[in-house]
Amino acid sequence: MSMSRSKRDRSIPRRPLLWLAAALLFTLPPMFRSLATWVPCLFLLALAMKFWMEPRGYRLRFAIFKLMLAAVAVLIIFASYNSLKGIEPAVSLLVVLISLKVLEAHTAREFQVMVLMGWVLCLCGFFLSQDFAAALCLLTAFALLLVALIQFHRAASPGAFWPPLRTACKLLAQAAPLIVLLFVLFPRIGSGFRFEFRDLRAAGTGFSDRLSPGSIALLANSSGIAFRAEFPGSNTRPTGPMYWRGAVMWHCDGMEWRAPYAPASISRAPNQSPSGNTIRQRITLAPHGARWMFALDRPFEIPRSAMLVRGDYIRSVQPIRKTRRYEVVSSPEVTRNDLTPYERKEALELPASISPAVRELAQSWVAQNSNSRAIISSALQFFRTQGFRYSLSPGEYKKNDLEQFLFHRRVGFCEHYAASFATLMRLAGIPARVVVGYLGGEYNDLGDFFLVRQADTHAWCEVWLPESGWMRLDPTNVVAPGRASLDLNSFLDGRIASGQMESRRSAFLARLARSAIFTNIRLAWETLNYQWDTRLLGFDADVQDVLLSSIGIAKHGPYFLIVEVLAIAVVMLVIYFGWMQLRTRSRVNPVKMLYERFCRKIASLGAQRHPWEGPSDFSMRAAQLLPHESERIRQISNTYISLRYAPEPDAIMLDRFAKEVSAFGR
Amino acid sequence: MKARRLPLFFPTASFAGLLFVLGAMWYAASSQNSPAVYLLLFALTAVFLVSIPHTVINLAGVRVALESAQPAFAGQEVSLPVEISNSSRAARHGIELALSGSSRDRERIDYIPADKAARMTLRFPARQRGEHEIGALRLTSVYPLGFIRVSKKFASAQTYTVYPKPEGDPQLPLNGTSIPRSRLETEIGEGDDFAGVRAYVPGESQRHIDWKAVARGQALMIKQFAAETEGVVHLDFSALRFANVEERLSQLALWVIEAERDRRPYGLRLPGTEIPPAVGQVHFHQCLRALSLFQVGMPGSA
Repeated sequence: MSMSRSKRDRSIPRRPLLWLAAALLFTLPPMFRSLATWVPCLFLLALAMKFWMEPRGYRLRFAIFKLMLAAVAVLIIFASYNSLKGIEPAVSLLVVLISLKVLEAHTAREFQVMVLMGWVLCLCGFFLSQDFAAALCLLTAFALLLVALIQFHRAASPGAFWPPLRTACKLLAQAAPLIVLLFVLFPRIGSGFRFEFRDLRAAGTGFSDRLSPGSIALLANSSGIAFRAEFPGSNTRPTGPMYWRGAVMWHCDGMEWRAPYAPASISRAPNQSPSGNTIRQRITLAPHGARWMFALDRPFEIPRSAMLVRGDYIRSVQPIRKTRRYEVVSSPEVTRNDLTPYERKEALELPASISPAVRELAQSWVAQNSNSRAIISSALQFFRTQGFRYSLSPGEYKKNDLEQFLFHRRVGFCEHYAASFATLMRLAGIPARVVVGYLGGEYNDLGDFFLVRQADTHAWCEVWLPESGWMRLDPTNVVAPGRASLDLNSFLDGRIASGQMESRRSAFLARLARSAIFTNIRLAWETLNYQWDTRLLGFDADVQDVLLSSIGIAKHGPYFLIVEVLAIAVVMLVIYFGWMQLRTRSRVNPVKMLYERFCRKIASLGAQRHPWEGPSDFSMRAAQLLPHESERIRQISNTYISLRYAPEPDAIMLDRFAKEVSAFGR
Repeated sequence: MKARRLPLFFPTASFAGLLFVLGAMWYAASSQNSPAVYLLLFALTAVFLVSIPHTVINLAGVRVALESAQPAFAGQEVSLPVEISNSSRAARHGIELALSGSSRDRERIDYIPADKAARMTLRFPARQRGEHEIGALRLTSVYPLGFIRVSKKFASAQTYTVYPKPEGDPQLPLNGTSIPRSRLETEIGEGDDFAGVRAYVPGESQRHIDWKAVARGQALMIKQFAAETEGVVHLDFSALRFANVEERLSQLALWVIEAERDRRPYGLRLPGTEIPPAVGQVHFHQCLRALSLFQVGMPGSA
């Protein structure tokens, strides 16, 4: 049962090491997503090596060798990121150092250090990703590290799987109320020093201030989440298609359009506030590192630390580096506002590179029609009747390929239609601009919210008419009717099902994706994701401030709150202690009571047991003192020893023991 | 044995590591204002806090019962058999036992089921001859997480005896009634003079142990030779030429062992004590005990 100290300190037992390895594997997925691939691979290799080395007693021994390995690692990290600054190189360095430590560790104390390092890895994981899937992995890793530590301290206790797991679950269950308490009430005091994460996600988003041919079609396969929207007050859900306004592009370059880098802020005059019904939205925006914010067409009540800019869209004051939640009110009715001469000039500006054929086309509409509305319907008619096709893979166009697109290939995605239509409008003398944003969204009835993906990125046009102001026109809708009322994936699935489009995936996978079970699982998973993003990630210092002041305990200041929280924690711990004490308090042990009875009997016969005498020593001495009873004394002592030291109680044996003791001395 | 005090708990060395990790998490969480990192921080803090009562309770109902320690010779190890009993209704894990004040010689027991006891032998070096108090024993445990150590002290009035270290000339003094044959001859004439076996006496040379019997699973026995059982030896403290008391005691202890091994009756004469010649276990321990207690606690003794 016992181990000598020196033996224990020379190797790490296998079972806790297995738990530790399982825990560390769960810290890997966020790494694989964001770090250079070789870093987690190296880590995996180190773990595998450890299992090979440990039974053989191998380990990294020489300090110089270790230092050299660390130096080489720093060099390789520098080579693969071109810098040592920023979060990924820092995390990579940590992972590499932990890999070395795993190879080197070989004593009991170092196991404890390895578990602590595992918790640091969980922290690093949260630097890399905070979405629900990553959090699930990291929190699993956290719990498994706990199991590893418990198993390590249990050492050779029976049971290597359930017992440590059960103890860990018990600890976590008891810790849960404390976690909630700390999370809700513990003041989030700023540490004063701040370091900024680099824009991690900016590359992953579909949004940029430039719309070029193919830039949106590229995103059609992306499952990335742009944002989620709730409509507080269910009667205000929009009835028509949901156009989420993101940015307005004024600068035309044929097939390519650009938004102003720093659009001018505008304030909406109170008399212009819309008269019709308004829609309040609560939007949870995934971090993208830029300033884009989204709202249904067209926002007029904007959230804090955001501004309404020229073109009637909202922009964040600060880049959005973490999940942001905001409320915005939009009005589907278009308010008429005037076009300043400067704006009119800007909304009609055209590049010189437009080919004569395209100019001719626009001029022909002007010549045929008397007013702007008629010109617009001619243009839409052109797109409807001239064999334009809607396709995810329209092939490559350059920014001057307007003629190629309009007269020859006639295959495009929304950005091609929006860009070319707006350019044609300008050629025809109608002020026009391109709006980019998202269209549609998948409704999740489990969580009652709309999920808008990067794949739903969309571009449409707005034209200015003197009698109604800026009016939305979506030329894509002419080419692909029905797209506006669905999110992109549902629309494509519908088209594939009706044979209008070849499938992007295999038929089996497509059918699986549409099956009811799969859909339900997906919706449930997305709901969990949403809850994580809104309930947990949304609960930052600002939200906590609001909550604390609303229940009236913020006024005493953070230190008072800390004392209060700690006092509650101490009370809770004392309650746990008392409860455990009560549950495990000793009760009368029948074996011991019988043995004491036997000792009293034998003492009256003349053999007094010394307090320090073990049962076997005593039985030998008593047998010498009472030779005629020696057989029975030995018998009773043997039964007692086997009852007391055996791991499992035995009812039959206890019964026999009771009989032997009561028969003794008669 | 009664526990002297309520269990105390204090942080272990790895608690410093935990504090460092918690500090890093707090810094990251507060500088990023990141609820996810706060969740991790608070989870680790809460699990640590909840582990404190678990650690403290791990010694509740655990008691130590000492059995008598066998006497040992100085320079050897004292073996102290100990019973650790768990009278609670929950299993106890990872308990360490040490003499209070010495953390080096500790014994660990991984598991004691509910209402059971476990036995172990605490070993520690016997440094000085004489009778020593065991003093206090300390039970400690860091289960389940190892960041907090709970400690419970058990007082004991029990003593153990350390005999002087047997050293010097193994040749018994030639004051007996007959002259024994030299060792060399006894060993050469092994086949002829073998007279049987007897029990091994702790502390004596292992040269004559009957290893074949040990291999058969029998107790340690010593092969005896016919020639060795002759004559009476008088071991006299004042007849020795060494100046040092300890050296004389060591020489006498060695002779007591040799004489007992040879089954030759031996008597011991110390200033103020005289033990008449005899042979056997009781006599053997009586002599060694007299040697070990000789002038203990007197000024000038070691």
